[in-house]
Amino acid sequence: MTQSRALRTPWRAVTVFLLPAFTLYVGFTAYPVVRTLWNSFHSVLPARESYVGLANFAELAKDEIFWRAVRNTLIWACTSPLFEVSIALLLALALYAKVPGARLFRIAWFTPVLMSYVVVGIIWAWIYNYDWGAVNYALRALGLGSWARAWLGKPETALPALIFITTWMWTGFNMVVLLAALHSLPSEVIEAAELDNCGWWSKLVFVIVPMVRATVLNLIVLSFVGKMKIFDLVWITTKGGPLWATETVSIYVYKRAFEWNTFDLGYPSAVASVWFVIVLGSVLTLTFLFRQREKLEY
Amino acid sequence: MQKWRQALVVFMLSIYTAFAAGPFLWVATMSLRTTTEISRDHFRFPETLHWEKFPDAWFNSNYGVYFTNSLIVVLSAVTVLTLVGAMAAHCFARYRFRLNRVFYFIIFSTIIFPPQITIIALFQILVQYGLFNSLVGLTLVYVAFQLPITIYILESFFSRIPGDLFEAARIDGYSEWSIFWRIALPIALPALSTTIILNTILLWNEFLYAVVLITDEDKRTLPLGIQRFMGDQMEDIGMISTGLMIAIIPVVLIYAFFSEKLIQGMTAGAVK
Repeated sequence: MTQSRALRTPWRAVTVFLLPAFTLYVGFTAYPVVRTLWNSFHSVLPARESYVGLANFAELAKDEIFWRAVRNTLIWACTSPLFEVSIALLLALALYAKVPGARLFRIAWFTPVLMSYVVVGIIWAWIYNYDWGAVNYALRALGLGSWARAWLGKPETALPALIFITTWMWTGFNMVVLLAALHSLPSEVIEAAELDNCGWWSKLVFVIVPMVRATVLNLIVLSFVGKMKIFDLVWITTKGGPLWATETVSIYVYKRAFEWNTFDLGYPSAVASVWFVIVLGSVLTLTFLFRQREKLEY
Repeated sequence: MQKWRQALVVFMLSIYTAFAAGPFLWVATMSLRTTTEISRDHFRFPETLHWEKFPDAWFNSNYGVYFTNSLIVVLSAVTVLTLVGAMAAHCFARYRFRLNRVFYFIIFSTIIFPPQITIIALFQILVQYGLFNSLVGLTLVYVAFQLPITIYILESFFSRIPGDLFEAARIDGYSEWSIFWRIALPIALPALSTTIILNTILLWNEFLYAVVLITDEDKRTLPLGIQRFMGDQMEDIGMISTGLMIAIIPVVLIYAFFSEKLIQGMTAGAVK
């Protein structure tokens, strides 16, 4: 009797608890997603909407700016995780080796990620400033004045300069996560490796890295997804310029929807929908690939 | 030898620290210098501390309005988020019902959605319902935007509360609501504070939704205000720095008091 009481679902309570979240979710997330997908098959002008079938997608396939944006975003999303995670791993190992002041370092390095991209973007636009930015200032002080350039103003340096900013911003975050993973490792394993007279490099490659592999892969996915969505930083610093060198898909969607005077919301919706599918697809693929290899047990 | 090596490591790490924190220090010095002083030499500690630049930015450059708007939106969004998120998380963690995991997974998977997939339609919807250019509309969007991560963090905490506790309360005649309100919530206080701090920071910094959904000058949130000010007063570096500091200081204060909580929140889900 008591058993069945405990197992019976109090539907009234479930409804009351879930209703607010459910309503907000449907109204401000699920419905907008569906509506964007719907938009992408329509021409959506202020006064009228008309069905256009696959016309938006056909246009998309031939849209050079879109492909440029896809290329830039993919470059960003594929290189960032490598820089962020590898530098973070080195830093985490340094702190793991019980360096004095480790706690302070950890807290200081985490700071950039807490700041708004607006703040970070403005500061870095100044750092990259041609006349008085810190980068050129340092170069001139070192007698390398000929290397000084408008880092965000030249098509060939603008994207690398932005990638540098996100690396600066996110390395500390990755470091903190890796450090937590390192601290949760069983210390016997590492001690055993030390007893076996393992050099520090082989200890790193054969013992530590395999053990934090799951965390590393997770961070890679996280960093990848973050860069696939990137908008704020680009909007503050370059708005996609110069010559579309830093145009990302998010920027292009925003421009087509709210900046260009085409007034059509259908086409940007098509871009957003395609990108949505690509992001979801790549995350699922990555997760699947990373799950495939056998897990290390310890 | 060992000593030297350690000193070298500490030295390198200090350089990295300067690299990570330097830009903020630079802005902090500039926020207390006038633009004329700055243009003479950009890298120098302030000789006279121009504290008066802060009230100047606050009153004459509309930062007071931006700050207040941000504060209103963030506080109300976080309040609603905490309550609604906790209710849902408690429900997912405690009740066994069909589709429980399906609903949970659907909401959870939203975390990876790129915001562009909702932004255009949200613009249309808010215009339709007269919520465009309103702080209420922005608040509702923010709640929906942060709901998945909030539910995720809270659910993993709630699900670790032993069920016996609830059974005992039920036998004592507690209603389902008072079990949630008087038992689950107080126990979950550490997790709740994590989500509160996390959401406060993330929404304080949010830019994309704000730039699409708010266009009125007197409704701008702080990031929008700074961007606008930057656009209008490109050359006035000193004043922009002061504005940046107005946005940075609250974050630094929260971080100073709750650094571990904040790190915990930001990294939730990444450690596996």
